[in-house]
Amino acid sequence: MPPALLTTSLVNTIQIGSLYALMALGITLTFSVMKLPNFAHAEYVTVGAFAALIVSLAGEVNPLLIMLAAFIVGALVALISHVAVFKPLEGREVSFYTLILSSFAVGLILRYILFMIADYFNLFDTRIRIPLQIMLRESYLILTNIFFWVVPSSILLVIALTLLLNRTPLGREMRALANNPGLARVIGIPVERVKSYSWLLVGGLAGVAGALWGLQTAVSPLMGWAAIISVFAAAILGGLSSFAGTILGAYVVAFSENTIMLFLNFNFGLDLAYKPAIPFIIIIAVLLIRPQGFTELIRRAGDLQR
Amino acid sequence: MINIDIGATAVAILTLFGIYSLMAISLNLEYGVAGVPNFGQALFVSIGAYTAGVTYTRILPLLAGVESVHPCGPTMGQALQLRSEVMAAQPIAGFINLALTFLIAAVIAGAVGFAVSYVTLRLKEEWFLALVLLVGGETARIVVRGADDLICSHNGISGIAQPFYFLGDARSSSILFMLLALALALIAYFYSQRLLHSPFGRMLKGLRENEAVTRGLGKGISLARAQIMLIGSAIAAVGGVLFALNTGFVNTNDYVVTLTLDIWVMVVLGGIGNNRGALLGAALIALLDRFTQVGAIALNMSGSPIEFNYLRFIAFGLILLLMLRYRPGGLLPESPLTTNAHDVLRRASGSQPMSKRA
Repeated sequence: MPPALLTTSLVNTIQIGSLYALMALGITLTFSVMKLPNFAHAEYVTVGAFAALIVSLAGEVNPLLIMLAAFIVGALVALISHVAVFKPLEGREVSFYTLILSSFAVGLILRYILFMIADYFNLFDTRIRIPLQIMLRESYLILTNIFFWVVPSSILLVIALTLLLNRTPLGREMRALANNPGLARVIGIPVERVKSYSWLLVGGLAGVAGALWGLQTAVSPLMGWAAIISVFAAAILGGLSSFAGTILGAYVVAFSENTIMLFLNFNFGLDLAYKPAIPFIIIIAVLLIRPQGFTELIRRAGDLQR
Repeated sequence: MINIDIGATAVAILTLFGIYSLMAISLNLEYGVAGVPNFGQALFVSIGAYTAGVTYTRILPLLAGVESVHPCGPTMGQALQLRSEVMAAQPIAGFINLALTFLIAAVIAGAVGFAVSYVTLRLKEEWFLALVLLVGGETARIVVRGADDLICSHNGISGIAQPFYFLGDARSSSILFMLLALALALIAYFYSQRLLHSPFGRMLKGLRENEAVTRGLGKGISLARAQIMLIGSAIAAVGGVLFALNTGFVNTNDYVVTLTLDIWVMVVLGGIGNNRGALLGAALIALLDRFTQVGAIALNMSGSPIEFNYLRFIAFGLILLLMLRYRPGGLLPESPLTTNAHDVLRRASGSQPMSKRA
């Protein structure tokens, strides 16, 4: 594999992996705190991307403001889906499959509402508009300002979320809820309020991830849905419970999809069309062989259920 | 305005109803009766469709005794023409080929379903099976699409003629095809009803309700689960063959998660665990499907800025949410399953029977 290809793929790994981490943490958080494998998470990402796109079309807008808009819209959509769909189901003893199906249905509805909006305002194949600058040009490597927006923002947000979870009262309450919902209620944790905050947080972070994703590729109503399996693969590598495991999982998935895929393509002629199969294979392998993922390897580093 | 040919529309809806019924009955047996969350239903349907794609391009020329050309690549058009000539001139070869297609599809899908069910034994949590089936279906789709020769990767295979194509008259050909689809759906319905009321069916429901108790009663649950997956998958594959014949082409893009979700909507809408519910769900979705197609054309012609096809998916999502929340049992909920002995006992003790046979 020529070095130019290698460095480019590693840069992609870092950029995509950071975004996967941001999205996958939301999945892990929803699964731990709300006991819900939320496939509609994909659409919170897309909703955020569209919010960011629409704000960015207004003119020269500071990227921070774009991200803020994406956070707010993503958070609100997540909260609405909780109040309208998931919360009413909680009270009844519904099976896990009812929850999965409901999350699929929420995702479907949101996705096609976005299709209608994109169709109506002619927003297909547009990119979030921020001026492009080349920050670094080495012989093998060209880094634009997009890389320096995406990577530090996602890493900072991941760190902020980890701190919130480990250092603040809200984080402590969320962890308690993840660990033992019954006990959490008994000792007087305001369960509903904590859940609402968790949904706002999850949706907001997904929205920001969407905004950052929309900086690097064109915004499309299918963008979140296209990434959701990779994101789930990352969360499953984290055992659906460990924060550090999920972050590690996100980079592992991104590395497999970019660097390993290119390596196989270059050395063994494997067609790049097989790239979408990589997260599937990771999911099946992890669930069959090691359902706990990385959790036991990094038990001490920020496990939600320690 | 557009003119709608009522007769042709009715035939189209009834054909779709037959095909959807097979898919819904299959999922109802697997999830409704045995509790196996098959989120990979598109995979089993697609096995049927891919088999049709392979047999109509490889076996049909053999049966007809003509020189076959490769269906993909530069000879694509030639192969297509050859297929339609054979289907028009040699109905017997066409029928034998169709029978073989059904057989091969059912055997392959049954074997895959049987094998997949053993995966359950290795999974830590039950819902992981749903995830494994979901991503397994998508993986298979990507692999089939990547294999250039099987069904011509991205291009797919078109021009798969219906078995009664040789009649030359589109109307009678489609009516006969509708009858074939309905007949197969009817066979599947009566077969699954019998299955449901057999001791095996009652054991499956026991398995769904409480695995530990069923195991405690001395029933072999992993084999039972494997058997129902075999039966359900085979039925789904038969539906897949008809699906491909109905549209006339096979393309991997048709067998995505959305198809799986459509089949789930049918079962959830009609009634989980009730075969009649599965039929009702299939009928309603077939109607809705056709209605949205007609509606989309009408709306586009009237120059409306809203794309009607998007509304179809939103409607499906809303149906699913409303049913799960307000009528989780479906429109025709499952009634308690009683044996004859149970009814006799009730009558003897003077009270009304709990229910008629569902």
